[in-house]
Formats: sequence, structure tokens, C-alpha cells
Amino acid sequence: MSQSLRLEGIDFSYDAQRILAGIDLTIPAGQFVSLLGASGSGKSTLLRLVAGLKAPQRGRLAWNGKPISGPGLDRGVVFQDYALFPWMSVVDNIAIAIGKARPETGKAERRAEAVDYLRKVGLDAAIDKYPFELSGGMRQRAAIARALALGSPLLLMDEPFGALDPVNRARLQDLLLEIWEAASPKKTIVFVTHDVDEALYLGDRVVILGSTPGRVIADLPVEFPRHRDRRSLFDSTAFHDLRESIAETLAADTLKQLVAV
Amino acid sequence: MTTESIALETRELGVTPTPHAASQPSASIGRRLTAIVETSLVWVVLLAGWLAAAEYFPLGDNPLIPHPLVTARALWESLPELWTGTLSSFSILIPGFVLATLLGIVSGIAVGTSPRLQRALFPFARVAAPVPPTVYIPYAIAVLPTFKLSAIFVVFIGAFWPIFQNAVAGAHALEERYRDNAKILGLSGFEYHWRVVFPAALPHIFSGMAVGLGFSFILLTVAELFGANAGLGRFVQYYADFADYPKMVAGILYTGLITFLAMTGLEAIKRRALFWQR
Repeated sequence: MSQSLRLEGIDFSYDAQRILAGIDLTIPAGQFVSLLGASGSGKSTLLRLVAGLKAPQRGRLAWNGKPISGPGLDRGVVFQDYALFPWMSVVDNIAIAIGKARPETGKAERRAEAVDYLRKVGLDAAIDKYPFELSGGMRQRAAIARALALGSPLLLMDEPFGALDPVNRARLQDLLLEIWEAASPKKTIVFVTHDVDEALYLGDRVVILGSTPGRVIADLPVEFPRHRDRRSLFDSTAFHDLRESIAETLAADTLKQLVAV
Repeated sequence: MTTESIALETRELGVTPTPHAASQPSASIGRRLTAIVETSLVWVVLLAGWLAAAEYFPLGDNPLIPHPLVTARALWESLPELWTGTLSSFSILIPGFVLATLLGIVSGIAVGTSPRLQRALFPFARVAAPVPPTVYIPYAIAVLPTFKLSAIFVVFIGAFWPIFQNAVAGAHALEERYRDNAKILGLSGFEYHWRVVFPAALPHIFSGMAVGLGFSFILLTVAELFGANAGLGRFVQYYADFADYPKMVAGILYTGLITFLAMTGLEAIKRRALFWQR
């Protein structure tokens, strides 16, 4: 299976501290995977390895059969801390990404395309604004627009809605699903979160990382039909049961940590 | 120099009360009034001190401390000459400072982003930077064909190091998240330096430019004492030779004002350029 993200025997240590141990994971193209874990489980580190920002000490990473050896435009990343460049207007932040992804485009073309992406995420009114003029939710919309503008088939999202208030968080979850469901072929998404509800609402699959060192302790399919409705899904027994079992898995892992210490 | 620091203080005092303005309007007005009084008090005391010195230590026909009114008249009469001097001084200061800014930024960012360049150049910079640039003046005058060229060179040296050092520090201070983002977007080479490192380093660069501009004025006027036939430093030196103290003091005050205006101009440019910093 070459149309996939493959992680084999990934070990990663930092300052003699083992962060990830023996991670094996295969994610088929077009799947939305929620990567769930307590803080310290190394889930953000795992995402940075896939992004190519760090290299593992041992193991192999490949995207669509190609080994990952550094950052590449075939993988877009959205971080939690709105890493838009504060000295560029919102539209320039997107246009610079388009310029890299499609160098043949002209200046006007890039801007037009950037505006299209900003419309898509509901930022029509903020096109020529600067990041400091936007709320956290708006900045994160812009960050999503930028990742989409790169046109990468793989999107890596590191707790992108972690710093948002509940209302904005729900809105952006819906926006993300809407964009993802509308695209064809679907993008592959690895979404890091520590929020069980968020993981279940968004993902086709939930991969749970245990702590110290990070390793896969559960890998569960989430089989709720797509075009999910938040209200009825959260009220369903199936959702409730899955949520409980995941919470128990996480709690057991935490308890094991406490006993080990 | 005094004018400048007082002006800076005024600005700070004027700004501090604003955060409380919404919650305690009356307290804020009171504080602002106090600030104004405190600031003007310094000026009043200084002027009174000057007046007293001029009144009570007259010391003959040509007092070392000329009366403020005499000085004011001397300043008024010298304005055309001072203006010519200003143009002459700026024809040295501007090329020297602009060259130092351009080279300081380019080399500072290059060194700050390249560990290899840093290893190669830092030992030299560490030795060369602390040399007081004034010691180059006599040699520059001897080596370079014209006085103007040597003065430009000395101003350049004085302004270069602080700008260079701050540009290096600014490039080092680039936050990891912006560096990661640049990598994710595939920004590299000139584009990475120009659109990511340079703007991120600008706050540091402006600090370096402010220090460099101060040094430029010092070196300019010192160089003019040596060999100029026009200019602000030359004006003061010339009338000192003739013991024309009113004109000399007028020249000092005028130079202070010009320095202050140049600093204020740089500050205004900085605010415009760094508008995105909140």
C-alpha cells in the first residue's frame, strides 16, 4: 500500500529522555485520524517527525512510499500557536504559501487564489488585516487557509483549536469537517488533540498514545456515519460508550504512570 | 544628550497612565498633570540655574556663561551659518550612517543565520567592535584623500558595529515557531532571509540603529574638530577659538536640537515599521 503514511518502529529521545518508543502506524490516504493522548505522551513530537521538523533516532517514516527526510510541501501543518507571520497581512501569509507551492503563478494570481481560500474559511472581512488585528479563532482560520493553500494531500494538525473558546472551537471543527468532506480526493489528516469529544467527532479512527515513553496503547475505528450531527451524535449511546471506554483507557494509563513513580 | 533624555522621559511619563484611564479617569488626569509639572519643572530649574549663573557670575565683559538672551540673539544671528553647517555635517552623516545601516543589516543577518560565518567572523568582531572609533580619526584623515571621505569612514565605523551586533542578535532571536513555519512552507535562501529573518530582527535592528545614530553624531562632531572647514562641530570649535561664548553655546544648543530631531525621526520610522508588533 503506497498511498499511505507509514511509521515503522519509531524511537525518539531528547536529552536521554525517551519520548517515543516503537511506534508502528499505517494511515491509508484519505483517512481522518485523531491522535489522542495525555500531555507528555509525545503526540506533538510524533507529528513533528511526520512534518520532517525532527528526525527519529530509529525507525522509518514514509508518505506515499517516499521516505520523509525533512519538511516538504506534500505535508501541510497547522500549529496551535497561530504561527502566521505577524509582519505580513493575512492575504500575504497565504499568498507566500501559494508562491512556494505553485511558483509558476503570478503575483495577482496568488492574491486572487489566497482571497478564495480566505473566503472558504469565512475570513472575507479580514483579507488585508494583520494578525494582531484578529482574534484567536480568526487567526486559526487563516492558518487553516494557509495549510489548504499549500495543496498538500496530507494535513498535520497539532491541537489547532486547543487555545480557542468552546463556541469557536465547535465552529472551526465544523468548518474543518465541511472542507474535508467536500474535497475529492479526500485529504489525509492527522489531528492531535487531548479532547476525547473532539477526537471522536472529527476522526475516522482514534489512535491513543500512552505516556512516558509514548507508544500506541489503543487504535480504534470510529464508525459513525459522515456528515455527523454534533447534537444527535453526542447524545447517542454508541458515542457515549466509545467515549467511556477511551476515557478508561486514558485513566488506566495515567494510573500506571502514578504507580510506576 | 540632555535634551534627548528629558524628551524620552516625557514620553514615558505621558504613556504610563493610559492603561488606567478607563477605570479611574480622574486619577489619570491628576497623574498626567503631575507628569507635566514634573517634566516642566526640570526645564524651569535648568533655565533658572542658567539665569542665576549669568547674573551672579558675570566675570567681566565676555562671560564664560553668556546670558540666555545674549545666547538667543547669537543663535538667531548664526542661523544661516548653522544651516550651512548642518548641510555640510549631514553630507557626512547620512552616507556614513546609511552605509553602516545597509552593511550592518546584511552582514548581521548573514552571520546570525549561518553558524559557519559566525565561527569565522565572531572572533574578529569581538576584537574589532570595542575599539573606540575615535582613535581611527587621525589615521583616516591621513590615509584617505579628502577630509569628507575620512569623516564618512569614521561615522560608518561608529554606526556599523552596534547595528551589526543587534542584527545578529535579532536573527538569533527568531522564534522557533516562525522558523518551523518557514521550513514547512519551503522558504529558503534570499526569500527566507528577506521575508522572515529580516522583519523578525527589525526590533533589534532599530535598537542598534538608535545607538549607531548617537555614535554617528559624536564621531561626526569630533571629526569636524580635527579638520573640517564647515559643519556643526567645526562651528563650535571655531567660535571657541575666538572666545565668542554666546555663539559657542548657541552652537551647542543647536547641535543638541538637531541630534534630538534626528533621534525623534528615527523613532517615528521605527514605530511605522513595527506597527505589527502588539
